Amino acid sequence: MYGSPTSTRKQALFAASPSSQTRKSISFNPSKASSGKGGYAGVNQSRLVTSRTMVSVPEIKPAEKLNISSTKTVQVFDVRGIDVTPRPLYHPDPLVGTAKPNKLLTSQEGSLGSDFISSYSLYQNTINPSMLGQFTRSVLGSSTVSKSSVSTTESMTEDLEEPAYKRERLASFTDVRVLRTTPETTITKEDLEKNIEIILTETETLKFFDLPTVMFSVESEEAEKITQKNNNYEILCRNRLGNDLYVERMMQTFNGAPKNKEVQCDKIVMEEKGIMATAWDLYDSFNIPEALLSAKQSLVASRGNLLANDQDPNQQDSETSSLMDIENVILAKVHEDEEDNSEAILKSEKLHQDLFFMERVLMENVFQPKLAAYRQLPVLKENEPGEAEESLEKESHEEADDEVKKEDEEETEMELELEITTEQSTIPANLERLWSFTCDLTKGLNVSSLSWNKANPDLLAVGYGNFGFKEQRKGMACCWSIKNPMWPERIYQSSYGVTSVDFSIGTPNLLAVGYQNGTVAVYNVQSTNNIPVLDSSESPHKHLGPVWQVQWIEQDRGTTGDDKREILVSISADGRIVKWVIRKGLDCHDLMRLRRTTAASNKKGGEKEKKGEALISRQAPGMCFAFHPKDTNIYLVGTEEGLIHKCSCSYNEQYLETYRGHKGPVYKVVWNPFCPDVFLSCSADWGVMIWHQETLKPFLSFYTTTYVVYDVAWSPNSAYIFAAANESRVEIWDLQISTLDPLIVNVANPGIKFTTVLFAKQTDCLLVGDSDGQVAVYELKHMPTASDTGRGDVISALLGPKTNQPG
Amino acid sequence: MTEVEETLKRIQSHKGVIGTMVVNAEGIPIRTTLDNSTTVQYAGLLHQLTMKAKSTVRDIDPQNDMTFLRIRSKKHEIMVAPDKEYLLIVIQNPCE
Repeated sequence: MYGSPTSTRKQALFAASPSSQTRKSISFNPSKASSGKGGYAGVNQSRLVTSRTMVSVPEIKPAEKLNISSTKTVQVFDVRGIDVTPRPLYHPDPLVGTAKPNKLLTSQEGSLGSDFISSYSLYQNTINPSMLGQFTRSVLGSSTVSKSSVSTTESMTEDLEEPAYKRERLASFTDVRVLRTTPETTITKEDLEKNIEIILTETETLKFFDLPTVMFSVESEEAEKITQKNNNYEILCRNRLGNDLYVERMMQTFNGAPKNKEVQCDKIVMEEKGIMATAWDLYDSFNIPEALLSAKQSLVASRGNLLANDQDPNQQDSETSSLMDIENVILAKVHEDEEDNSEAILKSEKLHQDLFFMERVLMENVFQPKLAAYRQLPVLKENEPGEAEESLEKESHEEADDEVKKEDEEETEMELELEITTEQSTIPANLERLWSFTCDLTKGLNVSSLSWNKANPDLLAVGYGNFGFKEQRKGMACCWSIKNPMWPERIYQSSYGVTSVDFSIGTPNLLAVGYQNGTVAVYNVQSTNNIPVLDSSESPHKHLGPVWQVQWIEQDRGTTGDDKREILVSISADGRIVKWVIRKGLDCHDLMRLRRTTAASNKKGGEKEKKGEALISRQAPGMCFAFHPKDTNIYLVGTEEGLIHKCSCSYNEQYLETYRGHKGPVYKVVWNPFCPDVFLSCSADWGVMIWHQETLKPFLSFYTTTYVVYDVAWSPNSAYIFAAANESRVEIWDLQISTLDPLIVNVANPGIKFTTVLFAKQTDCLLVGDSDGQVAVYELKHMPTASDTGRGDVISALLGPKTNQPG
Repeated sequence: MTEVEETLKRIQSHKGVIGTMVVNAEGIPIRTTLDNSTTVQYAGLLHQLTMKAKSTVRDIDPQNDMTFLRIRSKKHEIMVAPDKEYLLIVIQNPCE
């Protein structure tokens, strides 16, 4: 079966040689004599041909390669019986060709289990003859065959020997083939990701060319022999001429007629690959762990091949590929991958963070002049002529022009203070509104309290809740950042109105919130969770009335050896001042019970009134408190009766002092930060009063309007300046200038009441909260500079020749 | 996810914001408020610029990385927050 075609061909060859027709010699690589590429001696053919010679039997279907018979072949014989069957010009390259040979090859490989390239080719060469009907002889290029008849016969004989051998081998191969069926292996993703081991070893040394040297050193051992030989040869040459031993004779060799053969191969696809090794590239390659690399490689593999490599963000190197073209990349997408990714991207934390930053950046752009004014930085001047009127700060190198252009304007920057005194008289101090913290959520709510964060001066806590009992709405505590005036950073909603907020000093991420229902809650502002970390609603000693003020106090605990320990103090309408300690929960402790005192008696409280007025309760509702800045044991309490009591932490039954002056509930008591004996109070009786610690009657009182004063605050910059917020306006008083009139009055829009004021520490700004949910930021402009006086002067200035107006 | 959507909506409604877009690494827009051709154009151009800028920053100090890119032009300001997987681009007209 196998032998017959070859035998026919062999006959053809035999017949051919005497007629000097050119035939290609078919030579099969003997399995023994191969280091793969060894050619036959004496056959001048291209090595490739010898290594890949196959038998062509046309018209035999691949399925029938096992049963190869020559019956179907068409053979042409010429007159003399020589086989002149035209052979096809096209010989598919077995290596590049169909899948089936590959399969068989792989199966053979699998069966033989060898990865070596050299042996691969060996097996391939041996297998090829078995693929009858599939393979044709491949002749690469045009090869001139010139051989002597001697060599032909030699090769013939060798060839003849082979088929017998081959048949045996083939039989074994076919057997092997039948026995083993390789499973169809589809390449899966895991296969691609699998690490394929490529083992490189050294092959035997193949000698392709060995040209022995023809030069020897004179000193070598063979030098003598060689010189002897050379001499002999010279003698021989000399003797040659007339010698009978050497006869010239002509010879003619056969020249085989060449035949041109053209071969066309597949286009060789060229791909360029460029890598730019940058400094960070090297750094990344060293520092990124292996696992991460392999994970990213798999991602790379799963995307389409048309992806431009440098657009692939997971690749470590910056590679460019000649196939890169952005439009192509976008068009030739693998869409399934993208959908998964976009969802993941939208949910990613990083996007959230980036959006957060982006919002802040936008805010900065929008609010840049305002924010700069707040932070007292030079404002970027936009190139608009209409802004000459506005009070923009100028760069220092433009000062000269400014002075000419804006003689009226006053610079509040430090460098230019010298000019202030000359221009002070012209411009009155005023409040310039910078911006306001407001958003949809807060619209319509009443701002009840403001508090700065102790660690981050840009963070502001605002509590929203109504004061009156009738208008109960849901309350909210928000944390706003200066960097984003349009949306709060944190929103903590609750069903009760918030009456007071305060940030902790020791742990600046804790925010204490007091509610209308008496609950005191502590939130951790690092989380956006609406649930407070600590809540007093289950505490047995919780407050029974609205908590009007909460404050964190750092108390010296010198006796126990601790450093300052922080406690939370709250005061509420049920007449108790309670100290909360955070141990396992909120643990409370009564600091003081506020007893009612009758207005007539000067007695210090604590005595129970047996006769006299029938009181509904013995407790006096407390509205506010203030701890002394220097001595945290002493504090002031303002009550609803209008009395201010000075109390100490050591006594929880008695008052140290009682200050009588107000006729209505005292809403706020504040100590002067510069002058430790002076404090300020405001009340619903339309009045603001200044007191000295030692005196039970107020020193100064201010009744400017007939509206309730909700809030007062001392300025952190000056001992004389304080702000008061009543229902209709905000007043800034400067006691140095006048005690009769406020320095600045800012009237509210109709329908809006100002409810809270707060000074900003490092800047000249004032925050005012109103009943519409807005917290407006005003800049105090053209304020008179604080004259640098000592404390003694302050007191005397305050308390000296001023008239005492008891309210 | 909703928080992200909310923030995106807020950003878009800010004063002066012309467009907001989130595109993935291949330039496919995930969320955008502009039309597709403009988005694709911005994405393609900004991606290259971002890569170059990032490469520059890292070449100077490989431990550093670029976090934000702002291009201020006569008409607008383009702000890009790059990441390995996406680009967040906002175009704003900062002059009121």
